[in-house]
Amino acid sequence: MMAFMAIVLAGIGTYVSRSLFIVLLAERQFPPLALQALEYVAPCVMAALIVSMLTTADGQVAIGPPELVGILAAAVVVARTRNHFYGLVAAMSLFWILRAMSYS
Amino acid sequence: MQDRLTHVRRGIRDTLPLYVPVLPFALVFGIVVNQSGLPQLLGWSTSPIIFGGAAQMTLLTLLGEGASLAAAVSATLIVGARHLLYSVTLAPRFRGQPRWFRWLGSYVLIDQVFALSVLRKELDADAFRAYYLAAGFSFWFLWLLSTMAGIFIGPLVPESWGLAFAAPVLFVGLMVATIDRWEKVAAAMIAALITGLLAGLPNKTGLLVGALLGVAFGVLLEQKARRR
Repeated sequence: MMAFMAIVLAGIGTYVSRSLFIVLLAERQFPPLALQALEYVAPCVMAALIVSMLTTADGQVAIGPPELVGILAAAVVVARTRNHFYGLVAAMSLFWILRAMSYS
Repeated sequence: MQDRLTHVRRGIRDTLPLYVPVLPFALVFGIVVNQSGLPQLLGWSTSPIIFGGAAQMTLLTLLGEGASLAAAVSATLIVGARHLLYSVTLAPRFRGQPRWFRWLGSYVLIDQVFALSVLRKELDADAFRAYYLAAGFSFWFLWLLSTMAGIFIGPLVPESWGLAFAAPVLFVGLMVATIDRWEKVAAAMIAALITGLLAGLPNKTGLLVGALLGVAFGVLLEQKARRR
């Protein structure tokens, strides 16, 4: 029961965070500086999210050469081709190959 | 009408390749649900109720570890706080849109839908609505389906495959697609660096601080460039 309560509360909270500006404040004009800042939100949040995904539960950033090469490969391939699937294939292949090599 | 259908199709077509890397994410989600010890259906209910992979996994992990309701929910909301930033960013596109679309569109504002729709600057209001809803609800439908499958299949995949690594890889691609000048590269690096340095902070606070400082750094760079 407590778990379900937590799920519902988290659901409401998540919805509010998504809708706050879209539903309530969409008619407001934003100052130019704010608009400029907004341009940086997506790349910065995603960069932070990536690092956070590579962090273990006890707060250590867990990146070895296989992860680093995989991530760089994904960045280069997507920047070149704009195709997310190619990026994934390149990154995961290199990641698996390097990992297999470091184990042996 | 014809035109709207074109944008619906485009929304669906853009979703599918982006969804491939989400499949391992759904598998990981399945593993998390099973490890949490909660009933499987209850774990899955986070998919329609929260609809956000990172937030769902944070909540279920913490509940499984026996965290209090307040701690579990607040950590989940901090992880999901980036949605506020998405909401601000997309708000101008929702200006002049019908009210129902604002309410419904907010529900499917996930990372990928944000990344896709923020790139479509050329669409007018009607086309944007068609595109956004098509992409958003394609993701929604696929996520509900694949998290259900993940709960059953996840425990069967050996952890040693390292499939979970596909999740950050997906976000690297999404991030690169939002970058169109070097100031953004620098800002993203700062965000990553600071998040890494603050990784030990509880409730993933480092993520928010890192992202905000990255944004601030980017704006400073641009102000400087303009003054010159």
